[in-house]
Amino acid sequence: MIKVNGKKHSWYEGMTIKDLLKDVNNSHLYAVVRINEKHISRPYFEKTLVPDNSEVFLIPMIAGG
Amino acid sequence: MAEYKMESLKTFNYDRPVIEKGYANQTLCIDISDGVISIKPVTEKMKNVFIGGKGFDLWLLWNAVNSTTKWNDPENAICIASGPMGGTPVYPGSGKSIVTTISPLTGSVIDSNVGGYFGPYLKFSGFDALEVTGKTSKDVVIFIDGIDEKVQIFKASGLPDDSYTLSAILTERFAKGKPRNISVVSTGPGAKNTRMGCLNFTWYDLKRKRARYKQAGRGGIGGVFADKGIKAIVARWDTVTSKTNNPANANTLKEVGRKHSREVVELDPKQNQMAQIGTTHLVPIMNDFDLLPTHNFQYGQHSEADNIGQEVFRRIFDPGYDGCWIGCTLACSHGVKDFVPLTGPYKGIKVFVDGPEYETIAGCGSNLGIFDPHTIIEMNFYCDTYGLDTISVGTSTAFAMECFEMGLINETHTHGMNLSFGNRSAALEVVHQMARGEGFGQIIGRGVREMKTIFSRDYGADPDLMQDIGMEAKGLEFSEYMTKESLAQQGGYGLALKGPQHDEAWLIFLDMVHNFMPTFEQKAEALHWFPMFRTWFGLCGLCKLPWNDVVPEDNKDTQEPAKVMKHVEWYADYYTSVTGRQTTADGLIRMSEAVYNFQRIFNLKMGFGQREHDNIPYRAVGPVKTVEYESRAERYDKQLVEKHNVDITGKTTEEKIALLREFREKLYEKLKDAVYKRRGWTNNGIPTVETVKRLGIDFPEVLELLRAHGVES
Ligand code: SF4
Repeated sequence: MIKVNGKKHSWYEGMTIKDLLKDVNNSHLYAVVRINEKHISRPYFEKTLVPDNSEVFLIPMIAGG
Repeated sequence: MAEYKMESLKTFNYDRPVIEKGYANQTLCIDISDGVISIKPVTEKMKNVFIGGKGFDLWLLWNAVNSTTKWNDPENAICIASGPMGGTPVYPGSGKSIVTTISPLTGSVIDSNVGGYFGPYLKFSGFDALEVTGKTSKDVVIFIDGIDEKVQIFKASGLPDDSYTLSAILTERFAKGKPRNISVVSTGPGAKNTRMGCLNFTWYDLKRKRARYKQAGRGGIGGVFADKGIKAIVARWDTVTSKTNNPANANTLKEVGRKHSREVVELDPKQNQMAQIGTTHLVPIMNDFDLLPTHNFQYGQHSEADNIGQEVFRRIFDPGYDGCWIGCTLACSHGVKDFVPLTGPYKGIKVFVDGPEYETIAGCGSNLGIFDPHTIIEMNFYCDTYGLDTISVGTSTAFAMECFEMGLINETHTHGMNLSFGNRSAALEVVHQMARGEGFGQIIGRGVREMKTIFSRDYGADPDLMQDIGMEAKGLEFSEYMTKESLAQQGGYGLALKGPQHDEAWLIFLDMVHNFMPTFEQKAEALHWFPMFRTWFGLCGLCKLPWNDVVPEDNKDTQEPAKVMKHVEWYADYYTSVTGRQTTADGLIRMSEAVYNFQRIFNLKMGFGQREHDNIPYRAVGPVKTVEYESRAERYDKQLVEKHNVDITGKTTEEKIALLREFREKLYEKLKDAVYKRRGWTNNGIPTVETVKRLGIDFPEVLELLRAHGVES
């Protein structure tokens, strides 16, 4: 089990960020995701595994300086 | 503590007006040549057309200077203003000041947005804006005391030169036991000896019991300040409550302020965590998307970038509340406690460092090939205390380093300094030399534009090559984002009024990552709406970060997520609740349009503000050197083939660079056409008579200026 934006979400072995985003509406708007304290950007969504029990935050937009 | 003396030269008593709906309705003018202090009224017309903040500054500056005024002429004014909402403690990000002057780097108008308590304290002391003109050979301190209703000019001697200690001394000197009542504006020795001096604006950190500061960094405003002979300007004001700004509708203000504050508190921890890590989250993200400038904007990525990213600064920053204005719940102005510099006058002494923010990390770090947080923090500390802009220091040093590595300059010119990328001690030495006005640091301190002239004239360096790799436009050094793959951001930088600073339009992600604006018309629309809305913050005394660095959870399902319209509508309500002037989201854009176009025309008055001045170096558009092309060959080859229908078989890298350049430069010119059209400008980038009439800025002097440039109705 993981938490996504504060809500419980199911987890399975081998789940990547790309897999997780399949369950999210308008997921193309997310270019960055934070897993616990680490930011992962879209180029790495496919190869980054989501660990069990992690807290995932979908960062809505990067707005710059 | 240093022995110093302050002798009062002039005291001006005044009756402090009651603040009405966010306005003091008067401005303070000080001519320090002869110590004349006067008060000018703020007219209804000024409020209608210029709103406040940067708008008031520009109007005062316009009237102070003529078309031939240079940055160091006595008539050049330094104008500082907050805005009608500036000083509100119940709405996040409401304590900003805007500073304008004629810049030593650009020769035209510069504006810089800064935190700290000065702007609000100035207004509550009775002045919507401050205008300082003249020059003096004495070191003077100006004291604006809103509590005792007097303005004083002191002749100072024995005060330290550097801003860090000076801010602390002057805070104590004027505090009368309440240091939170004081805000000090000052600069340091670097401002005297370079063209890239900044101003430090203090806010008092009650928990840490020290004066902290934020920087009005861009365009060398600190140099104008130092050249005038001003050591510091100090404002004193009392406790601030939601009533101090006397809003038109306190209940609506409280309600909208509470909504935005609560949202920030709830969502920032789930989103960018700026209350913990400031803007350092941008470092790894920019790096992942090939947007983090490294080695003078040659590349956008480096394998060591994680060493200077948020994971490291999360551990380094001193935890605690870091709001640069009272009540800001985003509180992103972090600092490093007990930092011990390894070089310079503070070597071995524990200091508190305000920062670093993303721009400093990229400018004084990755862009110089430096991936060591300690060096970056030390550069940050010395730039601030010496009164130097970390962005111009970073971008200028990066340019010098690339010239050194390419052999355009050598150790004979650098006085034996090895200026290779990644040389940390050389980078720090450059900063110390800038402060002392010595050695090659002094040359770098003149900025990229002047370095290009000096290197070609005196050292025989290739001017065309330097034109391509020297990252300045309009004389201002680029801030720290890579724009090669975002045409919209090339426009965001190139078409910015003051020069390439991201505060006007930051469109890289929307354009490149989210692909929100695939057509020219959409890019032009974005290059209209975003600069206008961002300008509005500077009219009102606000910080833009709470607008779109925290966004509502349902924002992505709205029609235009990039605009965060829910917040824009809150800002319209906020404006109405303070000023009593009804407005809407569109009304905010209309307010900015008038000031924005006026600033463009101000550039015209100073000899700039036309199409040719919106050019940018090719490094901002595409790969200049073969190594740059080859490092991303797959991307560029694909573009040539798929986007531009080129058969690249058998072509050399040089040939492909030339072809790509031709395509990309054409696109940039096409973008200019589209944006000028959208903004209501001529094809030469000048606002039309119809535009200035529509915006109510058709003053006789404006129409005369347009006529002189062939723009008539
Ligand atoms: S968000 Fe940061 S920069 Fe803006 S007002 Fe708040 S503390 Fe200052």
